[in-house]
Amino acid sequence: MSDFVHENLPCGIEFGVAPLPQRHVVSFQIRVLTGACAEPPDKLGLARLIGETIDKGTQQRTGRQLSDAFDAIGASRGSATGRETATFSCTVLPEHFDKAVALHAEFVRAPTFPEDAFTASIQLARQELLALEDDAHGLADKLIGQKAYGPLLGRHPLGEPETLDRITRDDLEDHWRSHFHGGRIVVAVAGAVDPKRVAEIFQEQFDGFGSPHRDGRVTFPVEFSAGATHHHKELEQEQIGICWPGVQATHDDFPIQQVILGVLSGGMSGRLFTEVREKQGLVYWVNAWQETPRGTGMIFLGASTTPDRCDRTYATLLREVDRLANDIQQDELDRAITGLVAALETRGDSTRARCAELANDLFFFGRPRTDEERVAKVQAVTIEDACRYLTTYPRDRLCVVTLGPRPLADSAIEDAHPNDSGPA
Amino acid sequence: MQKVTDGPYTLHTLDNGLRVVIERMPHVRSAAAGFLVRTGARDETPPFAGVSHFLEHMMFKGTARRTWRDITVDFDRMGSAYNAYTSEDRTIYYGWVRKADIGKQIELLADMLRSTLPASEFETEKKVVLEEIAMARDNLEHRAFDFLQEKVFAGHPLAWPVLGYEDTVGPLTRDQMGEYFEQRYAPDNVLFIVAGNVDPEQIIGFAEKHCGSWAVSGVAAKRVPPDIHGGTDVLTVERFKQQVVALTFPSISACDERAETAAAAATILGGDNSRFFWSIVQKGLAPRAGAYHLEYTDCGLMMLYGICQPENAEYLLEAMRVEADRICTERVREHEVERVKNKRRTSLAVESETPYYRLTQLMDDMEYRGAPRTVEQMLAEVDAVTADTIYDYFQEYPVNADGHLASAGPRRWPVVD
Repeated sequence: MSDFVHENLPCGIEFGVAPLPQRHVVSFQIRVLTGACAEPPDKLGLARLIGETIDKGTQQRTGRQLSDAFDAIGASRGSATGRETATFSCTVLPEHFDKAVALHAEFVRAPTFPEDAFTASIQLARQELLALEDDAHGLADKLIGQKAYGPLLGRHPLGEPETLDRITRDDLEDHWRSHFHGGRIVVAVAGAVDPKRVAEIFQEQFDGFGSPHRDGRVTFPVEFSAGATHHHKELEQEQIGICWPGVQATHDDFPIQQVILGVLSGGMSGRLFTEVREKQGLVYWVNAWQETPRGTGMIFLGASTTPDRCDRTYATLLREVDRLANDIQQDELDRAITGLVAALETRGDSTRARCAELANDLFFFGRPRTDEERVAKVQAVTIEDACRYLTTYPRDRLCVVTLGPRPLADSAIEDAHPNDSGPA
Repeated sequence: MQKVTDGPYTLHTLDNGLRVVIERMPHVRSAAAGFLVRTGARDETPPFAGVSHFLEHMMFKGTARRTWRDITVDFDRMGSAYNAYTSEDRTIYYGWVRKADIGKQIELLADMLRSTLPASEFETEKKVVLEEIAMARDNLEHRAFDFLQEKVFAGHPLAWPVLGYEDTVGPLTRDQMGEYFEQRYAPDNVLFIVAGNVDPEQIIGFAEKHCGSWAVSGVAAKRVPPDIHGGTDVLTVERFKQQVVALTFPSISACDERAETAAAAATILGGDNSRFFWSIVQKGLAPRAGAYHLEYTDCGLMMLYGICQPENAEYLLEAMRVEADRICTERVREHEVERVKNKRRTSLAVESETPYYRLTQLMDDMEYRGAPRTVEQMLAEVDAVTADTIYDYFQEYPVNADGHLASAGPRRWPVVD
């Protein structure tokens, strides 16, 4: 922890810095704690539209002038709007850091949401919804997300065609005015910077930006819907998605969950890859992962396979989860732990990755965490811990979504649920 | 063989012809190792389309010392970030590990590349590859790109997809694959690269120990540059919702010294904050429109590409053609060039941070230029790009000619006689 700096600025910004003096770049993330969950229910897609148009004009510059100003310092930028946050990320050479922060402050604080940019963003959002129909994985993710999280956390950032129709330019401005302010901003910085200077520049640039009162650190309710749902679509492969509730990122059992997911899908020796792909050749793609909105956790299994093999694939996925509690082995636990620990060192050579880790820690834990702290918790996981986790959080209520030419056979669902009443 | 050290690089060639390239990165905690095999889809014959990619899968399936299970377990015991991929002209295997594990990583990768192609795994893995082909057929952009290559490179090995086809992968036998493997995976057709916090002497020792006995095949690559075809071709697939529109034109190869100029030209025309972005995307015409310089060892394509609602296809095409004509007839402005160069400088700094990125850059350098480049050398090439060099490039490789137009999606457009 000794090298991290973590402070709250008078302007309301919470910021963390990981000084990495040997690096040749600086990365930072500005997370505004508002996303799709904060949208009015009849105007879904609003948060993302703000994210798309906020840098298309300020009181000082047109969108193009702003982009040119970023390019003049060689900034590598990105932005994303999710359920809970709007994130603006940037990597620059250290000598351009101050200017990069100033330009971000300019559009975050003083966007003009030009009418033409707003119109274009609505048109593009409609087309992105259409594009989602051509993206089988992305569409399956959207469909299972709605079932897993319910009407609030399950919102898709793109919104829906009918809700996009209702959004006006004034809505963007009103929503930005009420949801973008200093107290809702969390900043993470990693790289060759002086933490003191980072504090000064952010305070200077965001001084007086709305209320400094800490806001947005809320959790949103989950409405998990157990059951099996099929969505017919003409595809060569069937998309299979399975999920059930897990634990949140700050829970004491979270490191155990991470390790168990590593056992299932941490590498090619993981159980799903081994049993579904390597032994049976049922799939090219199979995976297990977790999502952790603030205050909740969700476990997902996913695979895509040709329709006549989907029942067997589904059965194998669940069989592997079910037998974990009975036969998890020390060597696979060790491999999962090693995978998590090694990734900290390999990915840690990337300044951008270090910044993203810090940003996540500030978001979930409200403080930076050292590699040592992460490693210690993961390395402490034992087989007994894993078995206790699997007993405490059984996959007894499943949400299953399939997308493709045919639903799962009833018999496949029944066979995969010998000890419960099945997902439906 | 003589070892050559040049700045952070050490180059060495084993007696059997395997070239070794090492970059020392003393400031990092990790190291990456990779084998580049100079074989890919363009080295196949039509009946065996897809064998290079299928072979890449089989490399994970067993050796004289390891079963497929041993291979994956050994990778994961190190916590390696590992994978492999196949392109038109190369197949790459890599692992990125903590620096202390680099010796084990090299031994494992080297062992894998002497696969026994276990017969017991062949048919099972074939099913995996056929699933991968099915997955690609559900992806409009993947299909559109395969279609484009099929038409632009018609009659040449670059025309078929890296994954191959169901009816070429399906009947493929292990013996046929074995023959291809013997010819193509010989040490004189392989490059071994390591980047990271490593001791070059030790790495050379690992290479000698684990690869020194590999037998030379003597089969040289027989690659012939393709003819690049123009015209208009339409792929109609009703189940998709969007339309891909792609214009392609001949360009320089990856080995050409003007590669940075071509990349900058593509960025000005169709990168972030580009002419396409402001005249197409930000007009709401298409969510994606870009220009991409596609590089191969002996040819290149400049591809102007967009994806839109089917009814907007002709408008997208017209908008792309307007900008293409403008960039060919009017010199780009110096500030546009500077913007692109500034961003390139940042991206080079980012890429030089991690051994994995350096590994991929070194592979490109060795394949396309025959020697590694420092970041400073790369920056010098970026600095040499000007509005004049871009103008000259477009004079030689215009994108306002007819080129090749590929359209893919639910709409049968344009109507071709």
